[in-house]
Amino acid sequence: MKPKWIGLTLAIATTLAVLVLQRDVGIARDETVYMAAGSRYAEWWTGLVKFQHGFDGKLIDATFGGALGGGGNPEHPPLIKLASGLSHRWFHDKLPILDELTAARLPSAILHGVLAWLVFAFVFELWGLAEAILAVACLIALPRALFHAGLDCFDAPIMTLWFATIVAYWRCLDGRRWPWLVGVAWGLALATKHTALLIPFAIAVHYAVLAWRAKDPLHRWRVAVAMAVIGPLVLFVLWPWLWLDPIGHARAWLHFHTTHVHYNFEYLGHNWNAPRFPWHVAIVTTLFTVPTATLAAAAVGAGVWIAKWRERRDRAPVLLLALSAAAAIGPFLLGSTPIFGAEKHWMAVLPTICIAAGVGGIWAARQAVTVFAQLPQRVALGVVGGAIVLAGLAEVAVSHPYALTWYSALAGGAPGGADLGMNRQFWGVAAKGVLPELATLPPGPVYSHDASPAWGWYQRLDELPSGYPDSGNEGAGIAASKYALVIHELHFNRHDYMIWNAYHTVRPRFVLRSDGVPIVSLYAR
Amino acid sequence: MKKPLAAAPALLLVAVALWEIVATFHDAGAVPGDDAWERGAVALREAYKPGELIVFAPGWIDPVGRLHLGDLIPIEMAARMDAARYGSIWELAIRGAHAPEVAGLTAVTATDFDGVTLRHFERAPVTIVDDVLAREPRSDGMKPTVELAEVGFAPHRCWKIVPPANGKVTITFSLTLGSKLVGYVGLADVFKRRDIRTPGELEVHAGATSVDVHAGVDDGWVRFELPTTPGPTDVTFVAKAVSPDRLICFAAEARQ
Repeated sequence: MKPKWIGLTLAIATTLAVLVLQRDVGIARDETVYMAAGSRYAEWWTGLVKFQHGFDGKLIDATFGGALGGGGNPEHPPLIKLASGLSHRWFHDKLPILDELTAARLPSAILHGVLAWLVFAFVFELWGLAEAILAVACLIALPRALFHAGLDCFDAPIMTLWFATIVAYWRCLDGRRWPWLVGVAWGLALATKHTALLIPFAIAVHYAVLAWRAKDPLHRWRVAVAMAVIGPLVLFVLWPWLWLDPIGHARAWLHFHTTHVHYNFEYLGHNWNAPRFPWHVAIVTTLFTVPTATLAAAAVGAGVWIAKWRERRDRAPVLLLALSAAAAIGPFLLGSTPIFGAEKHWMAVLPTICIAAGVGGIWAARQAVTVFAQLPQRVALGVVGGAIVLAGLAEVAVSHPYALTWYSALAGGAPGGADLGMNRQFWGVAAKGVLPELATLPPGPVYSHDASPAWGWYQRLDELPSGYPDSGNEGAGIAASKYALVIHELHFNRHDYMIWNAYHTVRPRFVLRSDGVPIVSLYAR
Repeated sequence: MKKPLAAAPALLLVAVALWEIVATFHDAGAVPGDDAWERGAVALREAYKPGELIVFAPGWIDPVGRLHLGDLIPIEMAARMDAARYGSIWELAIRGAHAPEVAGLTAVTATDFDGVTLRHFERAPVTIVDDVLAREPRSDGMKPTVELAEVGFAPHRCWKIVPPANGKVTITFSLTLGSKLVGYVGLADVFKRRDIRTPGELEVHAGATSVDVHAGVDDGWVRFELPTTPGPTDVTFVAKAVSPDRLICFAAEARQ
């Protein structure tokens, strides 16, 4: 099989794996916001293309604007929401081949496949086929990344578009006359999530190093111009909200994130909701959420890169990968950057780790062949690479479908994570696991806690029979309820106590667990 | 042919991977299931007498413990000020953990049920002479209310008071004192603690003795103790805050 077909097969397999696995994953509270906004965006763009309306400012503001943190979800750029809305429109409404939720999640799944392809192509070109296959296999076998790729959110897509920008920049360094690709890629990344603004830090340092080596400050200057001009232009074209007030709305967008409220997040036994955060959050969390064998192989790969630092100095791809990782994770070492969401906010570090693992694993296997001369190289590659990938797949198997509760063997799995006081979960995704138990009980209103935004979706998707309406929020919701959920996070303990008070018991009727770790309690009045 | 050491990275990677595969599936099944918990619960119920304290360890397994034995745990017990009044404590624990309530105690009995360990501890309980939660307060400002509050992510029944910003509220109880007054104070509501970062303060005056306790946003349920002269007297709690909306919770017992 030709290498490009291998890469394509791996990319399609990645997308299919995401699509299959996401069916078991509950609905994240943020997804409900993005799906609602995406439907409106898709309707507006469809109306524009069909000449049903023009560029009416009021309609644009009603669709894409509103209050930050509400309204048209203007605090996040529109690309993934638009793709989700169009996917829903095409693959559920027009061609009913997918259920509503899968249709909305399809773009993120496809983008994860695109990431697999980009990693494959990049590594194949630079290091070889075996390295490329192992790097992609390590990428597929990342439990948290696989989980996030199955949600209609921005965290997995920005990982793809971040890496696409890095790869596009690297390609554009070949001296081509029109390096527009890097600008488009960065523009798409900007239109996905604000963390794309960190990419230029990596690229600027890399560019400066190459310019210094070339003793020419204007070395490949067209690349920098392409990024600076085309990137913002793509963002502007894709985000009608910016058309109304480019500077003001861009400023409001960034202000929202630079002054973002600190959500509660448990780390090493402490509930963090205000800076200063420990400097090691990102490092420890990454160590505990990337399969250990992948990390070990990446360490070997890093060693190989360091030992061969004089190679490939023309476009310095290893330096670029290292800078990309540093830009992705660096802000979280400062102690002031919000840590809620943990690894999903610095997932752009993962391609670098997986590529290093691919290089390291294959290098180690080839070294072994030099010792055991009778050992066929293919066997050595298969044993070493296969062992690394199997370890990752084992982690995927136990993490599913509650990957936010999962921690790697290095932490002792989900129970070890709980012992260490690592964050249990967020977004209320686990509520889906309680629905079958709830459906066995007589109908009645339900205090659905953090799953409240998703409750209507569960009913619409027939995950829950009729007769179990959401009873409302906080104390009034509990008072009106017959059943009550508590989705366990440290800062949600107070919901248990409110329910005890109202139901006059501390005894839940059912406790959903992931590998033995409580994730949702169901109380019955 | 290279030195055998050249094979070390490959062997190490394979070893790490094999360890991870085994450890991953082992960890996933390392927490005892409901059968083990039910056997432990049955054994406890056979020996349990009303009023004895039941605790679970580690803390994260508490919902499962309450699932099996929650009917024996009144809210007052779950939301206790501390465990000193209990002379008999039953602990159901997994993974070698111990509840803080049994720190320093030696188990009288310990039985393992497939990973759920049931231990029984006995000790001399403190003698409670009086309890502010059982008394009506007099206040020079806002009247405090008895609440089941989250303080330091744990449940506590307490008097809750919200002093005015840069002000104070004086609350007085007529109590019968023993040889000491033991109490706790903390800030309720995790979101208030996040949004308002200044501490709360509680002055306690019991006869000739007093104590001034500061409770910060990360301090949890802060213990205080002061020696007292046995007999009836007024005990005064002065709650102070710099910021508005500071939810100060306190409880105290007169002990022999």
